[in-house]
Amino acid sequence: MNTDDINLAYKLRHALNENLDALPASTTERLAAARALALSRKKADAPTRQRKAGRLFDAGFHLSGAGLGRLGVAIPLLALVFGLGGLYQYEQQQRIAEIAELDAAVLADELPLTAYLDHGFNAYLESQQRQQ
Amino acid sequence: MATDKELNDFLANVERRAFKQAVYAVRKDESALDIVQDAMIKLAEKYGDKPAAELPMLFQRILQTTILDYFRREKVRNTWVSLFSGLGRRGGEDEDFDILEAYEAEEGSAAAESSLDQVERAQTLRLIDAEIQKLPARQREAFLMRYWQDMDVAETAAAMGCSEGSVKTHCSRATHTLADALRAKGIKL
Repeated sequence: MNTDDINLAYKLRHALNENLDALPASTTERLAAARALALSRKKADAPTRQRKAGRLFDAGFHLSGAGLGRLGVAIPLLALVFGLGGLYQYEQQQRIAEIAELDAAVLADELPLTAYLDHGFNAYLESQQRQQ
Repeated sequence: MATDKELNDFLANVERRAFKQAVYAVRKDESALDIVQDAMIKLAEKYGDKPAAELPMLFQRILQTTILDYFRREKVRNTWVSLFSGLGRRGGEDEDFDILEAYEAEEGSAAAESSLDQVERAQTLRLIDAEIQKLPARQREAFLMRYWQDMDVAETAAAMGCSEGSVKTHCSRATHTLADALRAKGIKL
């Protein structure tokens, strides 16, 4: 921004400040009341509390109320993650065992694998089942 | 940490400007007062323990967020109103609203009882007010924070959540728009 722009900006600021003086009394009173309300709810002296907690845990381990709250969320989450991981591993093992069992059964069978692809053989098996 | 007195002095110093900033954004005095009150309470409750030097930036950030929240609530409320009342043309009327028309009507009544100079001065101030209100929201925020709230570029950028370059661009555009608008109306500051 060049000097003219900055000059204009400051002239506008002056005009805006003049406008502020024309605010109605009801507005300024309401603002003062809002300020008093805000001050009555001012946050307490938090850093002093932290310092006291720090002295209790000199090893550098700080445990405040907020920290405990976070731990309360983190522990169940971790348990859930480990639980799901364990369940997944168990399912995988089961699946591998089933496939291995099937493979062993097929390999141990007297019939060659190609017999199962033969339509005639399938028809023969069906007719045998019907007779039984 | 800001003492009670520092916080009180800070709020007393910014409250009227914050009110005008909110009025520029929402155009309703009552809503603007509520917004400023909410922003003050949030600052005191959540950041009352921060150093006094950080208060201007924090307050501006809270004020902008509170104004945004107001618009979100208004949007939801308007959705329900239009659903149940059938006032379908209401939105269209709002779009046609021109703040200058309202100000011209007021000027007429003030002129009858004031001297010429006072009227001209008041008229100029109102036109400046109206032109600032007409600026795009981001340009207005940047301009007011930089030149009215005395915040530097870095503080303004932090309060607006944008880069310092964007703040400079917004400020420059706002100043040019205002200069052009006031020149077009024959106003010389």
